[in-house]
Amino acid sequence: MPTFLVGALLALLAFLGAPLFTIIGAVAMLAFGAAGYEPSLVAAELYRIAINPTLVAIPLFTFAGYLLAESKAPVRLVNLARAVFGWIPGGLAVVALLTCALFTAFTGASGVTIVALGALLFPMLLQESYPERFSLGVITTSGSLGLLFPPSLPLILYAITSQTSIDRLFAGAFLPGLLLVALLAGYGIWVGRRARVPRTPFRVQAAAAAMRSAVWEIPIPVIVLGGIYSGFFTATEAAAVTAFYVFVVQVFVTRDLKLFTDVPRVMRDSMLLVGAIFMIIGSAMGLTNYLIDEEVPAKLFAWVSQFISSPLVFLVVLNLFLIVVGMMMDVFSAIFVVVPLIIPIARQYGIDDTHLAVIFLANLEIGYLTPPVGLNLFISSLRFERPLLDVVRATLPFIVILLAALMIITYVPDLSLWLVRVLGVQ
Amino acid sequence: MKLLRALDRWLTKGETALLVLFLGAMLVLAFAQVVLRNAFNSGLLWGDTVVRHMVLWVGFLGAAVATSGDGHIGIDALTKFISPRVKAGVRVLTNLFAVVVCWYLAQGSYGFLTSEAEAGSTFVLDVPVWVGALVVPVGYLLIAFHFLVRVLESFLVASGRQAPPATDVRVH
Repeated sequence: MPTFLVGALLALLAFLGAPLFTIIGAVAMLAFGAAGYEPSLVAAELYRIAINPTLVAIPLFTFAGYLLAESKAPVRLVNLARAVFGWIPGGLAVVALLTCALFTAFTGASGVTIVALGALLFPMLLQESYPERFSLGVITTSGSLGLLFPPSLPLILYAITSQTSIDRLFAGAFLPGLLLVALLAGYGIWVGRRARVPRTPFRVQAAAAAMRSAVWEIPIPVIVLGGIYSGFFTATEAAAVTAFYVFVVQVFVTRDLKLFTDVPRVMRDSMLLVGAIFMIIGSAMGLTNYLIDEEVPAKLFAWVSQFISSPLVFLVVLNLFLIVVGMMMDVFSAIFVVVPLIIPIARQYGIDDTHLAVIFLANLEIGYLTPPVGLNLFISSLRFERPLLDVVRATLPFIVILLAALMIITYVPDLSLWLVRVLGVQ
Repeated sequence: MKLLRALDRWLTKGETALLVLFLGAMLVLAFAQVVLRNAFNSGLLWGDTVVRHMVLWVGFLGAAVATSGDGHIGIDALTKFISPRVKAGVRVLTNLFAVVVCWYLAQGSYGFLTSEAEAGSTFVLDVPVWVGALVVPVGYLLIAFHFLVRVLESFLVASGRQAPPATDVRVH
């Protein structure tokens, strides 16, 4: 069969919903076969990447995130955030954005945030008389907010795929992540004022009580962020400490989860996601090496550079391309399939690797919200029993804000690079 | 079909049990390594390598369990908008394709295993590499089997002999 027919057939299967790892695996094996290599080389590549030390962080952080989501930690964290930020107009909206961002960083925008925290925050927002459409929009948008904060799984996977330093990515993505949260929070405050949402005055006693009840969860961001940014822990060590700490706290201290019933269930649920990611890593690594051997990125660049000579124009086109990618693929597959191709091209245009990573992930974050196939839209519609079109309409203002933030991130590289320089991470 | 479904469920239970065991051991060992390294400036020489191989095992076992629950990542842009029966028909096709690919991946990784066994390379202490990587071909085989059961189930739905499942928005 001619190559283009095989390609068309595989593309069709992919769009019909065949598991992506089987498509990538098939392409890798066919490519290896055509180049005269043994198909067992695909497995050798898999084995080589499987024993990559950074990979250890993925199951550990995911397990920690799922444990937190299943315990009563969300309630305690929301209470704490309310006691501290509730006095701001639009305070609860800000609380929703912050707590969701934290959870998404751990669980990788896989729907867990909307299911675990949205169910808690959505009725609260309505009760405090926020407009329903706004409340739905906040929760749906928050489901992928936090993609840019450590220890976000997409960040770790991006580092593994692109073979760049994970510490650099963690440092580079932090300020752009804050920008997204700050712009959305500003919008939340504006809506809160207009809707005349009642404000809860700040009370020291209430804040102290909320802090006491969340006293075991407060150290977690310190372990993760402090450990990584100070260079005391590597990402993998931070993952090991976080997972062990969360496990001990939720099972033996707060006793939210039972050791013999809840823990095995959470282990299973969290490792389903890890397994699904692992399969894609497994087949993608072989393919990536083949593409690089065949100098496909260089050929792509030669083709692209016929039409685009300025880096500024390239970034515009890249953003449009990535938004379409985000509409079609989830963040994990996109990282493995698209990143190896665009990195060499972006380098030719003189774009910094870390900056590119931030642009890439910010785009995919928006892709979660864009119709017709944004994952968050479907989860929200299902979880809150609202028609899909209502959810789409509710998220539109948020998409506009995120697009504005994306423009800033794209054209102000220093936003992504300043912290890298200041911390001096390599 | 009844027998296949029972075998499917039974295998999934076994995989889940192993998964829990490995993740638990990994959790303790990875933490112990950090404590030993930072507090005592030492550590088990084989610790890190064993943890990394446990990740491999956990990943493949998780993927096997994910297959029984249709938990794999794919582009579901088009299939979100078609009727359940047509969708089941499409699933027969895509899952059959998955069975074939996993079979070849299992074969390929078995080839890798035998070449490592012949080379006699070891990954830790005296344990040969092929023991650590055993989960790769076995995992692909298990995944292929789970996909095969999904093919038969989708076929029953597509041919109208069984009602379609209630919802299918995947939340990991």
